[in-house]
Amino acid sequence: MNKKWTLSFMSLALVAAVFGLYPDSAPAQTFPTKPITFIVPFPPGTGNDVIARIIGDKLSKSLGKPVVIDNKAGAAGAIGGEAAAKAPPDSHSIIIASTTLSINMSVSKVNYDLVKDFAPVILLGTMPYSLLVPMSVPAKSIKELVELARSKPGQFNFGSNGIGGAPHLLAEMLKLVGKIDIVHVPYKGTNEVVADLLAGRVQLLFAPLVTGRPLVQDGKLRALGVCGNKRSPALPDVPTMAEAGYPTLDIPNWYAILAPAATPKAIVNTLNAEVAKIMAMGDVKERLTNQGVDPRSSTPEEAAAYIKQDVTTWAKVIKDSGVQMK
Amino acid sequence: MDIFNNMLLGFTVVLLPWNLFYCLFGAVIGTLIGVLPGIGPAATIALLLPFTFNVPPVTALIMLAGIYYGSQYGGSTTSILVNIPGESSSVVTCLDGYAMARQGRAGPALAIAAMGSFFAGCVATVIICLLAPTLAELALKFGPAEYFSMMVLGLVGATMLARGSLLKAIAMILLGLVLGLVGTDVNSGTRRFAFGISTLFDGIDFVVVVMGLFGLAEIISSLDHEMKKEIMTTKVSRLIPTRADLKASWKAVIRGTALGSMLGILPGGGALLSSFASYALEKRIASDPSRFGKGAIEGVAGPESANNAGAQTSFIPMLTLGIPTNGVMALMLGAMMIHGIAPGPRVMVEKPDLFWGLIVSMWVGNLMLVILNLPLIGIWVRLLTVPYRFLYPAIVMFCCIGVYSLNNSIIDLAMATGFGIVGYLLLKLDCEPAPLVLGFILGPMMETYFRRALVFSRGDFTVFFTQPISLTMLLTAAILLLMNIAPTVRRKREEVFQE
Repeated sequence: MNKKWTLSFMSLALVAAVFGLYPDSAPAQTFPTKPITFIVPFPPGTGNDVIARIIGDKLSKSLGKPVVIDNKAGAAGAIGGEAAAKAPPDSHSIIIASTTLSINMSVSKVNYDLVKDFAPVILLGTMPYSLLVPMSVPAKSIKELVELARSKPGQFNFGSNGIGGAPHLLAEMLKLVGKIDIVHVPYKGTNEVVADLLAGRVQLLFAPLVTGRPLVQDGKLRALGVCGNKRSPALPDVPTMAEAGYPTLDIPNWYAILAPAATPKAIVNTLNAEVAKIMAMGDVKERLTNQGVDPRSSTPEEAAAYIKQDVTTWAKVIKDSGVQMK
Repeated sequence: MDIFNNMLLGFTVVLLPWNLFYCLFGAVIGTLIGVLPGIGPAATIALLLPFTFNVPPVTALIMLAGIYYGSQYGGSTTSILVNIPGESSSVVTCLDGYAMARQGRAGPALAIAAMGSFFAGCVATVIICLLAPTLAELALKFGPAEYFSMMVLGLVGATMLARGSLLKAIAMILLGLVLGLVGTDVNSGTRRFAFGISTLFDGIDFVVVVMGLFGLAEIISSLDHEMKKEIMTTKVSRLIPTRADLKASWKAVIRGTALGSMLGILPGGGALLSSFASYALEKRIASDPSRFGKGAIEGVAGPESANNAGAQTSFIPMLTLGIPTNGVMALMLGAMMIHGIAPGPRVMVEKPDLFWGLIVSMWVGNLMLVILNLPLIGIWVRLLTVPYRFLYPAIVMFCCIGVYSLNNSIIDLAMATGFGIVGYLLLKLDCEPAPLVLGFILGPMMETYFRRALVFSRGDFTVFFTQPISLTMLLTAAILLLMNIAPTVRRKREEVFQE
């Protein structure tokens, strides 16, 4: 009888102690109460993933709880986007998003809505595209390129990293605005198309600035324009699209951290403050810049407005160009 | 000579203690993940990237490179011992390597694989030193028409992977082609055979197919056959290859190295294509092709050398032009950029210590790996003596972990199991999975290049015959095909005559 009592008492005490150590999560005061899931809708090693890991690493140190990267790749970000939109409303999930998710909403059927299903936390930065041509194309500005293409209808090829991607859509815009007849050659990923661009099989390509920069600096390719609202410090001679006379093409790629819509405002603000501090760190800025990203920061409201604007812009581009994924 | 100065510079960089340590670390991790089925160098490099932020760029790159070519060493171990390719490029090693293991000759198989890999690694390093920029320029001459013709050649070669009936091999290739169709078409954006399941939008993962067809199917089939139990517990005869083994394999090693070095440079090439090509070549020129699939050591020596050579030469376009030729190289490129280095011809000039340090580290890493792996062979081989009732569940568990680690997807696991059952049925029907795998890989690539070549030529089909490189390859394929069919025809005629 004695033994039984002792055992029961001890186990009850243990249970009480365990419960005592883990109080019910009271969000704003003791956030975070468990590891945070950071969903990355792309495979490991890609741009989004690397940025997420850089930030996630620092965030876990500042928040005191591990930030676990969860790669949910596939369907050009749609799988990750859907997972994040349907994430449990326990305020411990965030997702990194980029232009691809915005484009996808208009180009194919997806099960998430960037504007309705998410509460943006912060804008991380923008990454401009550049219009690249091989040395074999004698155009030195976008206007010259358009004239050249008009004089040779159906002969110029433009590459892309896949149907419905930003490079494809930007080129379709150029086609519309410049009234030129250029032929689309889709590739899987940017690297293959750069090889064909170098060889002169493809005559123009919209590619992330960071991909083309070393080749331009080596004189193997020419950059005719930069999509973004300012010139790139690495290539100061290259005009922006607006300067070159094509303001509708000035749409940079963006990166942002979002939280599911049900996340309380207080937590969104806490996350915003923490990530903003991280974005101000010198080494983070340097690493992002090396990736080709222009780091910036924002309030949650600014991020929300930016993303909403972006979705509308791309929707119009896609409607005008008629590109659709079946 | 310039080369010596550069190599010397490279050595002074590599022999610094922390660089040596990171090289060893990378090589060991690489071997480990090569042995583990499923998880590959790409995922590992991505996961270990954050660890490299606090070390100098050279050290980081040395470690990451070590992971890549280390994984080529490790992949052969499980291929030989339990017929499960640890790396996609080790699939071919399963064919003869596992057969050798069943004959109690796992030790020599592993040893030859390690030695061939080392030789290939050394040669590839020298090639990089001597020829890097020229080769990269040459690779640019390969357009889609050339790639298509090369794949046709590869597909014809796939029929030589077949041990038995040619008809069945062709059927397997076609089945592989059909499976390869699943996914999103590059040229039109249409989703094929995805049935609305979002995981299928990007196609069936190669690892899923291979795990199921080779690994799980083999286990199921072994449980079916009583006698397999005995073979697994046969005492292993010896660990060191015999004189005859060495004599038979040295030429295969050289051929494999040459083939791998050439194919690794081409975008889309690398270790995988090299190993398949080497196997097909060895089988074609062997005096007795029927030995292949039953434990011909050339079938291990050639592909293993080829995949190591391919892995290392695939660094060339990335380092010299900034064009990565496969997924792992793309990651390395990203890693370089994070550290503030833009690859391209300027790297050789502006940061020679980094460039040559990386290249020499590959040689040092290869040396470390062969020293590591040879003694470990005894331990690996002893794994085979573990009673199968422990071994098989453990293997199945590792397979499942590997498949799940790809995309954190249960659907992948279900598909792998499905392929396991299919593979078992195929084994029962005496059809081989290897041609299926080749069809699965080559099919989509062939279609992509074919259509792209036609886009460039605006619908002109003659482009495949007017480009010289393309024409050469198509002719070679035609000749090979004829050589394959002709003996069969002659034999049939003899049979008729005898009657």
